[in-house]
Order: sequence, then C-alpha cells, then structure tokens
Amino acid sequence: MSNSVKNFPRHIEAIWTGLKYLVKPNRMTVYYPEYFVEPPEGYRGLIRYYPDKCIQCGLCAMVCPAGAMKMYVKKGEKKGRPGVNYQRCIFCGFCVDICPQDALEMTKIHDVAFEKFEDLVFPPEKMALEPVSPALKMGAKKVKPVFDEERGLRHESA
Amino acid sequence: MDIVGFIVKLFLSPQVFAPIVFPGLLTALVVLLIIIWAERKIAARIQMRVGPLYVTRHLGGVLQMLADGTRYMFQEFIVPETADRIPFIVAPILALTLAILPFAFIPSAPGFSPISSPLTLPAVLAVISAIPISVLLMGWASNNKFSIQGAVREAFMSLGYEVPLFISAISMSILYGTMSLEEMVTKQFIPGLILNPIAAFTFLVSMIMSAGKLPFDIVEGEQEIVAGPYVEYTGIIFGIGMGLAYLKLYALSLIYTIIFLSGWEPLPKLLYDIYPGIAGIFLFVKAFLLMLFIVFLRSVYGRYRLDQALKIGWRVYFVLSIVSLILSLGLRVILNV
Amino acid sequence: MLSMSSEFVSSRLLFKEGDESTYELFIGPQHPASGHMRFIVRLKGDIIVSVDPDIGYVHRTMEKLAEGREAIKAIPLLERLTIIDSHNVTVALVTALERLLDAEPPPRALYLRTLLSEINRIASHLYGMGIAGIMLNHSTMFMWAFGDREVWIQLAEELTGARLTHTYSIPGGVRRDLPQGFKEKFEKAARYMEKRLQDYMKIFLLNPQIASRYEGVGILKKSEARRLSIVGPNLRASGVKYDARLADDYGAYKELEFEVPVREEGDCMARMLVRVEEIKQSLSIIRQVLEKMPSGPIFAEKYLKLLPPKTREQVLKTGHVKLPGIFASLKLPAGEAVARAEMGHGEIFYHIVSDGSTKPYRLRVVTPSFRNVVLFRYLPPGHRFMDFPAIYGSLDYFPPEADR
Repeated sequence: MSNSVKNFPRHIEAIWTGLKYLVKPNRMTVYYPEYFVEPPEGYRGLIRYYPDKCIQCGLCAMVCPAGAMKMYVKKGEKKGRPGVNYQRCIFCGFCVDICPQDALEMTKIHDVAFEKFEDLVFPPEKMALEPVSPALKMGAKKVKPVFDEERGLRHESA
Repeated sequence: MDIVGFIVKLFLSPQVFAPIVFPGLLTALVVLLIIIWAERKIAARIQMRVGPLYVTRHLGGVLQMLADGTRYMFQEFIVPETADRIPFIVAPILALTLAILPFAFIPSAPGFSPISSPLTLPAVLAVISAIPISVLLMGWASNNKFSIQGAVREAFMSLGYEVPLFISAISMSILYGTMSLEEMVTKQFIPGLILNPIAAFTFLVSMIMSAGKLPFDIVEGEQEIVAGPYVEYTGIIFGIGMGLAYLKLYALSLIYTIIFLSGWEPLPKLLYDIYPGIAGIFLFVKAFLLMLFIVFLRSVYGRYRLDQALKIGWRVYFVLSIVSLILSLGLRVILNV
Repeated sequence: MLSMSSEFVSSRLLFKEGDESTYELFIGPQHPASGHMRFIVRLKGDIIVSVDPDIGYVHRTMEKLAEGREAIKAIPLLERLTIIDSHNVTVALVTALERLLDAEPPPRALYLRTLLSEINRIASHLYGMGIAGIMLNHSTMFMWAFGDREVWIQLAEELTGARLTHTYSIPGGVRRDLPQGFKEKFEKAARYMEKRLQDYMKIFLLNPQIASRYEGVGILKKSEARRLSIVGPNLRASGVKYDARLADDYGAYKELEFEVPVREEGDCMARMLVRVEEIKQSLSIIRQVLEKMPSGPIFAEKYLKLLPPKTREQVLKTGHVKLPGIFASLKLPAGEAVARAEMGHGEIFYHIVSDGSTKPYRLRVVTPSFRNVVLFRYLPPGHRFMDFPAIYGSLDYFPPEADR
C-alpha cells in the first residue's frame, strides 16, 4: 500500500506527459501522393545511363552483387552496352562507383511503379531516358525534411 | 387520428423514449461510433501520427467506424465445427442484450425515468455485473485454448473489480440517504466528487477495470492470447464483441455522472419546457467527456499482469472503498448532510 | 490426451498429477508476439515449466552464398543480416578483409566509419525499445521509438545516400565524404533526442505500471551470464564489463573517450536502462568524432594510385569514391583473418578463410542473437505466463540475425 502512495506522483507525471503531447502534437506525416519528399543530394535512386560516355568495358556487370546489370551485345560490338533488371537491383551503387568514364548516374527518383513483370527489365535504350516519378507527374508538391529541435523532423516546401 | 396520437404518446413516454432514443440504444450506438474514432484519433495525436483520415476526408475521418461496421456486415459468419453450436450463437446476443439493459434504469431528466423505483442503483449495478457470465459462455463455447484462457481471465478480473465498485456506490447512497438515481441528483448541493473524493477515485478505477481499458485490458490481450474470448467470432458478431466494452463504459460513465458529478445540473429550462426527454443534454456531455479521458489513458499505460491487477483490486482499492464507506458514514453522522 | 479433436493441434495436455496438469502450448510463427520463430512452452497452470525455442524459420544460407561470390559482393549480402543496424555488421567484415588484403584505411575513413556506426547503434536501440513497448501493449512507446528513428535514418541518408542499406565501408576506406552542414543538423537532432529520452523515462521506464512488469523479472546472474556466453547489453546489465569496441581495434575508438554503462541487477529493467545509457554515450561519441575529424583522403593510398590522376582529383574534390577496376575481381591472398565489432545487439564475429582465389573459401559469422537464444531456455522457467513477452522484449532478440 505504501508502494502505491509513493508511486502516485509518477502516475501523474506520466499522464501529464501524455496530455502535453495531446495539446501540442509533433506529427511528421507526409501526405504522399499529394506531397513528395525530396531526397538529399547523392541519394541512390534509379540509374541513368549516358551512352556517349560509355566505353563498353563491362566493369559494371562484373561488380554488380545481385547480377542485375547485364551487357546487351549487338552485332559487331565487343562487350555491348549495359541494361539493368530492376527485379534484382538492390540500389547499392557499386556500378556507378566503378564506371571509369562516369557514364552511369543515380537519380533522385525512387517511387516508380510497374504494372507488368516484363517492364522491370530495362534495355540500354530505356536506361538512357530520364525516369519519371508518377507522383510528380500528377502534380505533387515537393517538400524537404528539415531538422528541428522541438519536433525532430519538419517538412517544408522545397 | 386516435391511433396515430396513441402511437406518438407511446413513443414520447419516458418508458420508451429514454431506453431507446436518448440516452438509450440509438444514442449508445452513435456514441460507440464516435468514441472508437475518438480513441484512435487521440492516440494518434499523441503518437506522432494522424489516425483514420480518408473515409470522410474533410471531417477528419469521422465515419471510419461506419465503414468498418459495413465491412463486418458483409463477412460470412462462420461457426467452427468443434464449437458448441447453440451457446456459440446465443452468447454474444445475450451479451449485447445485457449491455443495453442498464439504459432501462437511468433517468435523463427530473421526472423522466423509465422505471421509477426507489432501488434503481442496485438494479443497474446488478445488470452490469451479469455481463461477464456471457463472456465466459462465449469463451467456453468456442472450444479454443486461447479463448478459454481469455474467459478465465475475465472471470478473475470480474471478481477483482465488482466488490470495490459496489462498495463505493453503496457508500454514496449512504451519504445521500437514497438508492434511487433520480433522487441522488436532487440531493447534490455540491457535487459528490467533493463530498467523498475517495469513493469517486475508487469508482473511477473500478470502472476502468470493468470496461477492460488499458492498463487493465487483460481479457483482450493481443500479445499473448490474440483477442481472448472473441477470437473465433467473425463478421458482425466480432464487431459487437469489440463494441461491448464501450457500451459497458458508456452505461457506467452515465452512472458516474449521476452519482458524482451532479447529473443533469444545470438544467436548461427552455428544453425542459418543450419536452423533458431532451433536457438531459449536460448529463450526456459530462459522461462523454469522462469517456474521452478514460480512452486517453490508453496512450499512457501498458498492460498489467493478471495477478498484479487482482492484487491491486483487492489490496488497494478494496481497502480504499471501505475507507470511503467509513468516510461517508462519518459525514452523515457528523454533518447530518 | 488431445484437447481438440480436429486435425491440427495447438496445445495438448501432457500429464496430470493429482490436481495439477501440465499443458504444452505452441506459440507458433503465426502469432502477434513471437517474431519469426516458434516457442514450445510447457505450463503448469500459470507457471512456466520449460520453454524450447525453435529457430530456423528465416534461414537464408548467407554463409554458403558468400562462398560463391567475389569478396566485395559479400558486403551488400551480409549487410542484410540485420538491416536495422547495417553498418555495424559490415564494418567487421571489411576489417577482416582489410587484414587479409593488407590495406590500411586512412584516419579520416576510420572516423567516418565510427560516425555511422554510432548513428546505427542509436537507431538499433530505439528499435529494441519500441519492440519492448509493444510487447507490453504500450503503443505510445512503440510509435515514439519508431518515429524518432526517422530522425537518425534521415541523418544517415544525408551521409550515405540510402536510408537503411548503407553499404558504406569497402576494403580500403569508405564511399562518401561528410556533406556540408552535417554538424549543425546533428546538433539539432542530438538536442531533440536528449529531450525525448527524458520523455521516454517519464512515460515508459519510470511509469509505475511498467516498472512493476519489469523489476525483478527475468534475473540473469553474473555467473550464469559468463557461463552461457551472453553478449551485448544483456551481459552488461548483469555486471560484466565487456565491450567489443574496446576489445578489438577497428574504427577510431582508441582515440575517443566514452564510458561503458554497467548495472548489477540483471533484471529486465536493468537491460532497458543500459540501452538508454548507451544512447547517451553514443551521442557524446559522435560529438567528439565531429570535432576531432582529421582531414585527408577517404580511400586507401594503395588503391587510389591505381586510378588515373584526373579521377583521383575528382574523388578528392567531390567526395564520392571511384573504385579501381581491379575491385570487380579482387584476389584475396591465401590465409585466415578474424575480426569483431559491437552491434546494438552485441558482439559479432567473422572468420574468413581464403585459398588465394577471388572467392573466399569459407566465411563464418557468429551473430549476437544466435548467442543470446539460449536465454529463452534459462530465464522464463518459474515465471508466470504473462512475464514471457516482457522477457522477450527486454532481450532485444532479432530472429533473422540468429538464423542467418
């Protein structure tokens, strides 16, 4: 019984903490797809290929850990040009890091959705196009995360 | 013309209007709808998230529970092969009936009680204490290891909270000198909360234990026994099982408001002159605010262990309710209140 | 005697002696509170008599897969062991590879590795506390821990480019340099975290209801902890001061000052309090790292000189590493190497045997959760059935890590 008497102020403290956050909530929800969170610089999203810089060395396919980069050899070429299979890609970025001519780049788009399994395999021609995010195409507003002392993470429009 | 007048007079009489429309069955169903939504929204506000939003977007998702209920209605009601068929189907219907029965005793305005009797307080408490029996029947009829554990836990818990609940209510009736709910409101020149705060505190905690809200939600403990006695039920019966605790909470909080928070005072004269049935508006508002506070406690506490909850019920709150009994005896003798 | 007459049995009566009967209960993989494993619990009334953990449901054959791939491909593979704590898992592997390859990372790379390791340790402890909360149905602790984890994951995203799958260390150094404005962002996050830790104490650990569930439950004595070779905060809560950051030489820990929190009681409350203390120590370590960070390259000289001079300039200017072409088929010299690191859950240990080709001959990893599984056998007997989720939550056990 004396234990309960000693504990009563701690009950009140716990309830008071809950009431404090009831009155001033600190939500960090982003209403996707009306708002789109802009990733920071250097984010590892979908891969973009620049065919005129490529020297067809094949290093990207050799270093890919998941076996997602495959060389597509056309008639007359020696090693061919790379294409990516997004069923297997883990977005690690080794291919971008090892390319000696900077022909591969990782964009900031990450929320592309596909309807058929076959759409996930990108030949080199499709990898050379800029990927488009469906939320941004439908007019989502971009927001950026900002660190805040009171609320942790706030989102402001970019 | 005579028949229509007769039907209208029947409908507006206190015996029909109070248990069915306000604060009875229809109001209880609307409150059930809103209080579950309010619980989810309050918990979400504290927990850094938003809660249900998309059903009626501009109103903040109020009709989410209506959407859930509609979904439950379209589910198939499965009776397992190994379950005992007749009790399996009868038990939730019995539980729902017993949960709605207390509204036959609760008055909503002076002179407007459905059953005018000098013993409404023990009658309504007796009806509420019969609900665990139907939950026990649900758990037994399901023939599932987890549901039996849940039903046994419900039996243990009901033993733990019934006694403090009754004793604190009886201590207040000793203080007022009457056992009728309607007269208790007229005898409160200051609210019962200030006259006997120990009884108010004990009744509040026993109320939380009875309705199975955190920190005492041992019966429906999801982490160990996966929804307890309700685990084998599907469809609308599952929805009713989940809502049963809230109906009990609503009935008990109406009683709490009448006994401790001076019921329907201050009475709006205007509404009372038009029709006494709708003058109990402040009773409803106070009961609803009390339910909101109890539902807010969900975000602060975890779950007690069963033997700890029983220890608290018997060692702490039973003793406190005896103390409150002595206090109200003393107040009645000394102050002749 | 079976208590249910249908095809599948979820529990059965074992034997009856007088008035007492012992039941066997399967808390199987399809249960809200069992994780990816199964427990076979024997109960006598409400008291647990024995618990038999049944692991292996998430076995992904990672050690065998690492034998068929080149060494550098094993880094993203083994990172998926414990994805919530990914850098601490890979930094030990990379240290072992560097010992085999005889490549020394530069000092700035060591400091950057320490930075990311400590950020991951904070995120992993928050995950553990969240799971402990939801096991007691305290949903506020669960949501707060996971919401606050977002802050640290966002910091890691600024540093490495990915939220959870960092793949930051490679043999020879790290892949990215520190971005601009990182120190101010970290200061705001650290002050936020310190305030939130006080809120956690008030609503979760000092809450009398939670304290009554945790105090005196699941006591692990010091001699038992030593005998069963337990690792991590579970060990430090029983009074043994052992930390792999001090035992092995990786990262920049030799030049930083920090304490290793130790408590004597050994019950669930002590384990949770050790984790809270470790978060505070990690914040102080990151502050020291950001102050004392030396300048210089982020990749070893031995590999930087294999790149053409223009690429070398670009690496030093932009801060994104360029791997030399030899990394696609790096030959590991014949020999063996061991390395260990301290994850959030405990100590992880690697042993690599190579026979001179590009693929390792054998890669053995001993994970902390695999060493802690035995506690499920020794702690619960004698407690009530409702103590079982409390013990589970406080041990911070992660099934995919134990099953590899």
